[in-house]
Amino acid sequence: MIARTRHLHDDRLVECYLTERHGDALDPPVAEHLSDCPSCTERYAELAQFMETVRAEGDADADALFTPERLHAQRQAIARRLQGIVRPARVISFPRRLVRRTMTASTSRMAPRWAAATAAAGLFVGVALGAGYEWGAHARSVRQTLAADASRASRVAPVAALGNSTSDLADDVFLSELEIALERPHTRELQAFDAFTPHVRPIRDESR
Amino acid sequence: MNNDMGIFPEPAAVRVDPDAGSAPAPAGARARRPGVAAPLSEASRVAIEIRALIERGEMDEARQRFGELVTLHQRRASRIAYQYLRDSADADEAVQDAFVKVFLHLPSYREAWPFEVWFTRILINGCLDRRKARTRRDRWFVGGEPSSADEARLAAADATPDPERRLLARERRARLAAAIERLDGRQRTVFTLCHYGDCTPREVSAMTGLNESTVRVHLFRAARKLRGLLGGKP
Repeated sequence: MIARTRHLHDDRLVECYLTERHGDALDPPVAEHLSDCPSCTERYAELAQFMETVRAEGDADADALFTPERLHAQRQAIARRLQGIVRPARVISFPRRLVRRTMTASTSRMAPRWAAATAAAGLFVGVALGAGYEWGAHARSVRQTLAADASRASRVAPVAALGNSTSDLADDVFLSELEIALERPHTRELQAFDAFTPHVRPIRDESR
Repeated sequence: MNNDMGIFPEPAAVRVDPDAGSAPAPAGARARRPGVAAPLSEASRVAIEIRALIERGEMDEARQRFGELVTLHQRRASRIAYQYLRDSADADEAVQDAFVKVFLHLPSYREAWPFEVWFTRILINGCLDRRKARTRRDRWFVGGEPSSADEARLAAADATPDPERRLLARERRARLAAAIERLDGRQRTVFTLCHYGDCTPREVSAMTGLNESTVRVHLFRAARKLRGLLGGKP
């Protein structure tokens, strides 16, 4: 039994309030003390009134805002959201391969690697082809330059030969041979045909 | 520390994901508490039936039964959410989110804990997330008056013809809201759940992961602080 001289502490009073509010029975000694001690009874009544008022105020506010109409709308909103979630949107499966690729995380992570590898390979092939084409063009231009020089030399050769040294003549012959060699086809199979074919240069030389 | 947002001492452990129906409390707290050994409530029974329907693939029937659960709990859930958020639109969305989340994760619900406890944990975590988001937003943007629309609704709902009494009621509401707002985060949670959610300290303990005696202490301190702030009367 709790002595009358020792009043109930506030936390015990709060516990009593909660216990009573949930419909449970108080501890017999506490209940006995509350019935016997006017001071504790008054404090308990004051506390209970305060808590009830706070609760009633809060509930009244919430109930005024959440009217039955609003709660009905809330139920409907929840039902709509559940319909949307449980029945997911239909996915059009075209193009199928693309869809499958985008749906799996692992393949979506691989796709950039493939793209990067393809881009790198394309770049390499492009650079190689470009370099090869550049080299071929350069060789052609060299050959054309040489041929032009040789033809120019053959045209000036008679003029130069009139009173010049034998070294100029040898150069002229060398350049003419070079020119002839360049004009001939490089393919071995065609050289036989080329030998039978009349050329402009000898005919022109003969006509002179 | 008066931590307004971080309500619980171990947020990661206490943080409720909806799958936590089987083991909602942190390991330490579970060791201290044997669990809520109560007979199945009406809501728990309905939840188990809905879970069975979902497992059988009878979704239409499951949705229909879930409507009963919503009807059973939405008023209480709205009260709790409103006390947390003090804005009816926010509270409405938080309640909707909680119910949708519950339905989605109902297959993982286990009857070791009452449905009310499971649902309320999901709800209060959603409310806390919203409060955090609001605080973050208010840090960068000039905040509006979130409850002005609510004030208009409350004024319209107030049937008192006397303007002075309406004004006094409005001031009383504001004082009470400000006083609850000034409570420490844990105290506010415990007070809200006990007073507006009709939860017992044991249920609050299961929801928050706090020890039951700690819940009682927080509740007592909250009541004392509120009485101090409101001068004995709200």
